[in-house]
Amino acid sequence: MTAFSIIGKSVKRNDLIDKVTGSAKYVADMQFPGLLYGKTLRSNVAHARILRIDASRALALPGVKAVLTHSDVPRVLHAGSPHPRSASLSCDQYILDDKVRFWGESVAVVAATSEEIAEEALGLIQVEYELLPAVFTVEEALRPGAPLVHDLGPGGNQVLDPVTCQRGDVEKGFQEADLILEGDYEGGRPVPAYMEPNVCTCQWDPTGGLTVWISTQTSFMVRGIMAEVLGLPLNKVRVLVDHMGGGFGAKQDLFQTEFLCALLARKTGRPVRMEFTREETFLGGRTRHPARIWLKQGFKKDGTITARQARIVYTSGAYGSHGPGVTNVGTTALASLYRCENIHVVGSCVYTNTPIAGAFRGFGVVQAYYALDIQMDEAAVALGMDPAELKLRNAVREGDVAPSGHPLIGHGLEDCIRRGKEEVGWEALRSRERDEHGPVRRGWGLGCEMHGSSAYPGIKEQGNAIVKMNEDGTVVLFTGTAGLGTGTHTVQAQIVAEEIGVTFESVSVVHGDTDAVPWDIGAFASHTTYMGGRVAQMAAAEVKAQLVARAALQQAVDPSQIEVRDGVVSVKGTDRSVSVREVMMPKRGIPAPQFVGSATYHPTKSYSFAAHFVEVAVDIETGAVKVLQVVPVHEVGKVIHPVAAAGQIEGGIQQGIGHTLYEDFQIDLKTGRSLNPNFVDYKMPLFMDMPTIRTVLLETAPDPGGPWGAKGIGEDPIVAIGPAIANAIYDAIGVRFHHYPIKPEQVLAALQEREGGAQ
Amino acid sequence: MKSFDYFEPHSLEEAVGLQQQGQGRGCWLAGGTDLLVQMKEHVRQPGLVINLKKIRGLDDFHFDSVTGLRLGALVTAREVETSPLAHQHYAGLARACTDFASIQVRNRATVVGNICRASPSADTLPPLLADDASLCIHGPRGTRTVALEGFCTAPGRTILAPDEIVTHVLVPAPAPGTAKVYLKHGRREQMELATVGVAVSLTMSRGRCSRLGIVLGAVAPTPLRVPTAEALLLDEEPTRDRVHAAAAAAAQACQPISDVRASAGYRRQMVEVLTRRALVQALEVLR
Repeated sequence: MTAFSIIGKSVKRNDLIDKVTGSAKYVADMQFPGLLYGKTLRSNVAHARILRIDASRALALPGVKAVLTHSDVPRVLHAGSPHPRSASLSCDQYILDDKVRFWGESVAVVAATSEEIAEEALGLIQVEYELLPAVFTVEEALRPGAPLVHDLGPGGNQVLDPVTCQRGDVEKGFQEADLILEGDYEGGRPVPAYMEPNVCTCQWDPTGGLTVWISTQTSFMVRGIMAEVLGLPLNKVRVLVDHMGGGFGAKQDLFQTEFLCALLARKTGRPVRMEFTREETFLGGRTRHPARIWLKQGFKKDGTITARQARIVYTSGAYGSHGPGVTNVGTTALASLYRCENIHVVGSCVYTNTPIAGAFRGFGVVQAYYALDIQMDEAAVALGMDPAELKLRNAVREGDVAPSGHPLIGHGLEDCIRRGKEEVGWEALRSRERDEHGPVRRGWGLGCEMHGSSAYPGIKEQGNAIVKMNEDGTVVLFTGTAGLGTGTHTVQAQIVAEEIGVTFESVSVVHGDTDAVPWDIGAFASHTTYMGGRVAQMAAAEVKAQLVARAALQQAVDPSQIEVRDGVVSVKGTDRSVSVREVMMPKRGIPAPQFVGSATYHPTKSYSFAAHFVEVAVDIETGAVKVLQVVPVHEVGKVIHPVAAAGQIEGGIQQGIGHTLYEDFQIDLKTGRSLNPNFVDYKMPLFMDMPTIRTVLLETAPDPGGPWGAKGIGEDPIVAIGPAIANAIYDAIGVRFHHYPIKPEQVLAALQEREGGAQ
Repeated sequence: MKSFDYFEPHSLEEAVGLQQQGQGRGCWLAGGTDLLVQMKEHVRQPGLVINLKKIRGLDDFHFDSVTGLRLGALVTAREVETSPLAHQHYAGLARACTDFASIQVRNRATVVGNICRASPSADTLPPLLADDASLCIHGPRGTRTVALEGFCTAPGRTILAPDEIVTHVLVPAPAPGTAKVYLKHGRREQMELATVGVAVSLTMSRGRCSRLGIVLGAVAPTPLRVPTAEALLLDEEPTRDRVHAAAAAAAQACQPISDVRASAGYRRQMVEVLTRRALVQALEVLR
């Protein structure tokens, strides 16, 4: 194609007016006659067997319509994130169990005529526990004879058997090394903190059909598992998702409330809504997996990496959720990013009596590349090299084996590093004079990453789309892709419009109704453009072929002579043109044709790349770190909507700054109690804390698996920013941190320790 | 939230009468930014809520170069933040009102409300204490004026009886040669509770420090004035060494706790850094 009409343009998002006028309806906004409010009683112990639950006083409270405990609900063992095509799942959850495995786990639910009554009723339920010894850290969980969180699985509190990724000979590699670096790295426990707390409303119809209004990334998975657990055929479970206030991966799971809400609605014969409080999004939501990484690498004097050995241990919390997927993706990621022939990496995932870790933007790779990229920076210092030069020299490239087992396409990472160096004037920065006056020290750092668009090979993905053209030439796309707020429906409409040759405004999108749209695996793994966009393009191409055939017949020319662009059909090499509308119109009493295109797509994998260049200021008297500016360079194959792409990057940077410097969901290591499940004490950076961001988007390594070469962008930015900040802090004050979040107090202590050592 | 009775009295007498009828189970509502959150989170469950907004005269915002500043119970943090007078004469208070919560909250939250909430980390208390502010209190036995120092007795507790209302806060007019600074330590620019707050109100006359208030927030059960630190500078030339010694004395005097926001040790170190910086800034203003 010579030039694009719509691709690459920041068209007005199709959900914009709804959102800025406040007319967009979220699940909690929807009113239902006779609605009941469901609330969850959560455990105040971390590990216990439930001996007895007495709900009689709660049931006697006027306005209370139902109470459910573990003895009232089907006992079906299921996976918290029941991906139907996942290679590895941990099937370890019941709707309600007679055991609790973390402080804050659901014990009982109440449905009442008001939220206040439901809440009051929770206080009237008496639970008698038999306390069990608990494990809160990986060390405790892996100790011989440690109490077991689950009787299932491989045992020893392992969520899955360790994952090994191996090639070459690491021993030989280390023997050839001139420099060997070894270090322990640690990632904390940030939470996704989406704006819209988890919510669902359930209603049964008289024929036994269940409708679920819900904020989820995976409506078809919700339909599938609810049908299975409740014993219903799929056509009796309708799941509706309209607008969503974010998910960041965590809303791929089910949170037990979905089943309980449906069961409360069935028991009471009324619609029931269950909405998490903010505190519940911490307790009953999903966190990133805390991780410990031991990493050892060997280097030649010229910077060549001779061997890489690592052990990575993820903390899953009380249930497996995405533990297996995160362990696989994070472990195999350590075999890439920087080239190395001799690799031996072992990853594992461990149950503890703490809140559940799940899928979260960056999916195990945030932790892995934080360690790897920081150690590259350390190696550069030890070798007397420029870190950017060392990373460039070792950057993975065309033909190298990716974590997925595929050969990589293009030179995306090298392109990002080179372009970023130019943008910030890296050479000059490296040799700049340092200002040592006053308490503030400035530093620059570089962090790199790559991330797959799609969950392949862990999940054999599938995207589906249906496109139909109306008799006036307008177009409707039916997609299963959920809109988390990223603008994916806008992007898909752009793709359909471009492919057919109609205007962006003439394409509308139907989504979020499992009875109406084709099956979809869910919106995650940075694949809504790569997979959802590509399959929409394929379905659109089918409609276009039908349109071209009809136009060719009308114009009495060969279809190859027909061109469609911006809603106009023209015959090549002539001045003959008609509108798409005219081509479609009914003729002489014969109705217009119904053009429908449908497509199924099984993507494999592509990788996007990024290099983040970051400047920080460190106050050496308070330890406070401020990110002053970020120049993120991302290679994404093809940019569909520049503003939406930049928005993903800016949001990822904000979340990543939070992870690296602020956010820390703390658990009391004596009781398992959550210490800061609220936004007063769980701090995220806000707009006023944000640095200047100058985003650069590159299209130098397009992937044939995506629409016009487009790859994912959703997860990438949160991966690169962390090590970039840590490396910039080192550049500013010469202190190396191996963990996140890096708190002011720790910066100050490290500086004072160094002073003490110097004296 | 539990149900409650709601009233909008038009006079202080009526308000106090309502509170007495309710046997002290009522809560005063001015900005409501603390009360409503606490009610929603079941921290407080008042039987009645008495809105003070209809009472005349409580929105006073008056400055006189002799008598000083008089702020009514309904004056919001945002009004102080955007007042050139406040910036000119009460820079510490104006800064505290700017660093406080968010613009949305500051448009509702009142300075007097912030005082009466008696939070150890309240932003407005240290600068007001450093300025020797006092409070007008109306109750069944009439009106009295008390010093702000001693008003807060413990976190969330004051000497105020349930049927009393703080109607005004009074802050003396600054003497010539006075500079005021408030420094807040937190992780964020806005929407932040102070990990440490330090207010300094310093008057210089003939090269010596003739009046000094140093008050620490968030490092004791109530905001803490530190006379031991002040004494090192009073009637003295504020040399670098004396400023450092005063900062060290402030760190010595504070009684911080460890919590999820920061450890006691770190808070103590920050008291020293912030006290020194606040004193240096105040002296720079006067140079």
